[in-house]
Amino acid sequence: MSKPLAVKASYPPGDFAIWIIIYVELLTFALLFAGYAFSRRSDIEMFNASQLLLDQTSGFINTLLLITSSYFVVKAVQSIKNMTAESTKESSLAASRWLLSALVLAGGFLVVKLLDFVHVFGQGITLSTNKFFMFYIILTVFHFMHVLLGSFILFVIYQKTKAQGYTQNDHKGMETGASYWHMVDLLWIVLFPLIYIIR
Amino acid sequence: MKKTLEIVWIVLALLTVFAFLLGYLKYINVFLVGILLVSTFIKALLVIDHFMGLKEVRLTYRIIPILWLSLTILLIATAYYLPVEAVR
Repeated sequence: MSKPLAVKASYPPGDFAIWIIIYVELLTFALLFAGYAFSRRSDIEMFNASQLLLDQTSGFINTLLLITSSYFVVKAVQSIKNMTAESTKESSLAASRWLLSALVLAGGFLVVKLLDFVHVFGQGITLSTNKFFMFYIILTVFHFMHVLLGSFILFVIYQKTKAQGYTQNDHKGMETGASYWHMVDLLWIVLFPLIYIIR
Repeated sequence: MKKTLEIVWIVLALLTVFAFLLGYLKYINVFLVGILLVSTFIKALLVIDHFMGLKEVRLTYRIIPILWLSLTILLIATAYYLPVEAVR
């Protein structure tokens, strides 16, 4: 028996412009990832020794924080999508709770990463220490700035959700912010094993 | 009721724990680098399809991040597996 074909949406969720930004960001990070991987070939021993100075546990905790935060954001969007005329207040409240939880985890990521930076920079490591740390600092600081911006966007969405500003038919702004946040998560998913684990 | 999102989150968390344990126990060898890259590909694909919601969107838009991911993982794999002498 053949399954009925699911109708696919014509455009990705959120504002179309955010997808242009997302694709450009992905490309930028891909170049940095490839740059790191190929630069490593020039001095594998130095890269491996430098990697040992990183705190893998903080990278691991941060990965869990980001994927869970991303999951909470999807749940928030789902709450709004499933909203009915009778459940506006309850759905908005549920969505705002999911977003607040996502924000708390985003804050957790920033704190853990800041402690990680204190640990690394406390050892006198700078951009010019060696090529590994040059890539480590560029990639992680650049990503950190994306998390900061993403957290601000989540906060704005949270405020609007709490004020019942989104409805089942009008939540494009929420999906736009959510898409940006998932991109931040996606980038970290590649960054974590590349910088912290693979040797 | 389908619990797809919950399953996706659990798989993501388990693959993250797996990667961390390999790194923590310093068990990384050439074979495991491949396994880690495959697990990274799976994790990223789950985020693209289920969190970003691109599974429900026309292939034109879904294919861009999938191509990005494939190319990124392929480049990293090439850098790790290509004999070092080959570029010298």
